[in-house]
Amino acid sequence: MSFLKPKTHIEQGDVVILYLSVNSMHAIEAVPTIVNKKGETIVNIFQTPYGSLKVQNIIGVEYGSRVELSKGYAHVLQPNPELWTQTLPHRTQIIYTPDISMILHQLEVRPGAVVVESGTGSGSLSHYFLRALKPTGRLHTFDFHEARAEQAREEFQRHGLGDFVTVYHRDVCNLGFTSELDGVADAVFLDLPAPDLAVPHAFKALKLSGGRFCSFSPCIEQSQRCINVLTQLGFNEICSMEVLQQESIIKTRTMPVIDLEFLKAPKDAAAEPNSNEDTKTKEPKEIKKYLTSSHPQLLPGHTGFLTFATLPPNIPKA
Amino acid sequence: MSRKSTIPSIQLGDYIVIQRQKYTKLQKFGSLDASATLGKEHLELKSLLDQPYGSTFKMCVKESKAGKRGAQRQHTLELVSENELRSIRDVLNISSSGADNRDIRDNGEAQALKSEDIEQLREACNESSKIIEKLVENSKTFHTRTEYSQDKYLLKKEKKYFEFVQIRQPTIRLMADIFHRQDAEKIMGIRVDTLSQIISYSGVSGFGSYLLYESGTNGLLPAAMLNSIGADTDATLVHMHPGNVPQKQALLALKLPLEQQQRCISVNLYSVLREFYQGDKVDATIPTAAEDDATQTDNNMTTEEQTDEVEPTTKKLKLDQSPNCKQFVYAKLPLRWQLENKRASALMHQKFDNLVVAAKEHPSNIVQALLPLVKPSRPIVIFSTCKELLQETYMELKASGKVTNLHVTSNWLRTYQILPNRTHPEVNMNGNSGYLLTGYTLS
Repeated sequence: MSFLKPKTHIEQGDVVILYLSVNSMHAIEAVPTIVNKKGETIVNIFQTPYGSLKVQNIIGVEYGSRVELSKGYAHVLQPNPELWTQTLPHRTQIIYTPDISMILHQLEVRPGAVVVESGTGSGSLSHYFLRALKPTGRLHTFDFHEARAEQAREEFQRHGLGDFVTVYHRDVCNLGFTSELDGVADAVFLDLPAPDLAVPHAFKALKLSGGRFCSFSPCIEQSQRCINVLTQLGFNEICSMEVLQQESIIKTRTMPVIDLEFLKAPKDAAAEPNSNEDTKTKEPKEIKKYLTSSHPQLLPGHTGFLTFATLPPNIPKA
Repeated sequence: MSRKSTIPSIQLGDYIVIQRQKYTKLQKFGSLDASATLGKEHLELKSLLDQPYGSTFKMCVKESKAGKRGAQRQHTLELVSENELRSIRDVLNISSSGADNRDIRDNGEAQALKSEDIEQLREACNESSKIIEKLVENSKTFHTRTEYSQDKYLLKKEKKYFEFVQIRQPTIRLMADIFHRQDAEKIMGIRVDTLSQIISYSGVSGFGSYLLYESGTNGLLPAAMLNSIGADTDATLVHMHPGNVPQKQALLALKLPLEQQQRCISVNLYSVLREFYQGDKVDATIPTAAEDDATQTDNNMTTEEQTDEVEPTTKKLKLDQSPNCKQFVYAKLPLRWQLENKRASALMHQKFDNLVVAAKEHPSNIVQALLPLVKPSRPIVIFSTCKELLQETYMELKASGKVTNLHVTSNWLRTYQILPNRTHPEVNMNGNSGYLLTGYTLS
């Protein structure tokens, strides 16, 4: 239930983010026992590089606290879509926070919005949609993979989000978004290999008063085909973009400063009477401290093209 | 985005977005005499009343005055149906085009019409398509241009002579775009991608109690957060600002229901912190309180006019910079800002579910002052246009051990032209996204 609203203490059954370091985070379920491969009920122990955690011990603990591991410590954080996106079990490729933020902004999702999404995938984006539209809106999310749709449905239920979402197992490119959804959506999002096939269905699902559309595709050809269909159907404000986030690594660096001035004078000039003192005082090399930032060696260079469009009001759909 | 299927209609007092092709502008429709200026064109807004948002209107020339830089035209607006808008290529029925530009020379003789002729044409015809038709007829080179080049020419001319405007309801998306285009500095250079990420990383939604400090974004940041909080939810926002009057233009433009507006509590940073730490003591010792009361009472009276201004303003009269004005004796009735301070202070005692700081000042002290008001395991987001300020804050927070998962990030945002055989990134891009420092509080 830990995704519904901000909470202060870990309850049994919560998903909890076990934060070890920037590069090491795990989503664990706060249950005292689990069933192992042999079908036996055993005590839930979670293994980390810093030792093991008896999961029972974190139930009742305040979120944000430090918890002891057998060889170190970690922090327990309440999950949210950002942390979940970094720790969720991947069933497909997922979209990350920078793109997702732009999608939510451009689709103008806010509480009360009705959003149609295809495909559900691993549910990374769905969690963001749900945070943005609850408690008064609704998400309709479609996937053509039956097991994935089922897993997502279960997951939303476990996360306390079940009341705001309907998960469909359906091939929307061929079958559309069901006739019940005709004219109900404020926004439609597509992440499909052939978005152009689903655009006419998106057109039908959007409200008569108009709405916003987004398609995410890694390849420009998909965007081109998609834009073609959008234009034919009367969408406007068509716009394609990509968002790339760069991290800055902040470090305090100590830099030795070398002196090259002494090379200008002849060496025997140093053989003056007071030269001994001079060389002694110069010996500890000058060191300066700088607060620096640099980019990592490897950055995401491409995620996908985001194509947005507006369906203006009162376009006849017959 | 309207939640009802009926489209809301344009009312007096509304802020409206006027769109002419790609140009958009935020305008207050304050009275029936109100007019808007788009370049050299002046539009009378009278006829917009009660028409549904999203409607398209035709600009009809009413009179034309000679100005220093060409004619200034006064227009009335006439409602039109969407199908009057057709592709200019279809209207003009253009068929022939050249293969490349080998025969085109830039000698200034391509257009046979003189600029005076065009001005006259502009007054004679009400339709851009007719003007463009004449321009094309009198162009010696148009038909030898390539199809793509013709398209570009037509688009350019259409942009200049386009006679339709669309009236739209302001949303965060439209306003972020307008503010950033008109004067990015007035919203502290917060670009659309950065704004969207502030909303995501801060986790603001329909549940919880949120804390924002901003020193002047024309109301864009509080409006974006309140928009994410939503109507008919329980969440609240305490919006701290350094001046006497919060900038609220974007908040007013959203035309949110009253109950939602009231869940944004705008308070002065200094006076609310004084209230929080000294509480009743402040009321007892009137002389010390009077210094900021004096300036505040003055300014609260003028709130309405100031927030009604349409152009982004950066009004900033700092309280504690003029410490020696404590002569004002005020009535004993609690003023609105005092009540707001009390409400905010109560929420501060219960602590918040996030912290967002977008400061023109160095964020360090502000974050230090506000961080104790945030519950553990909650996101903090600090925006700055300069990385150096965030580097220092990063180090301080890291050393304090009160915040974890610290990251400093910035973005690239590229837009693309996607057309058959003409797909490429746009020639210009904005290189300044600003920087975000994000993290999670610990207990």
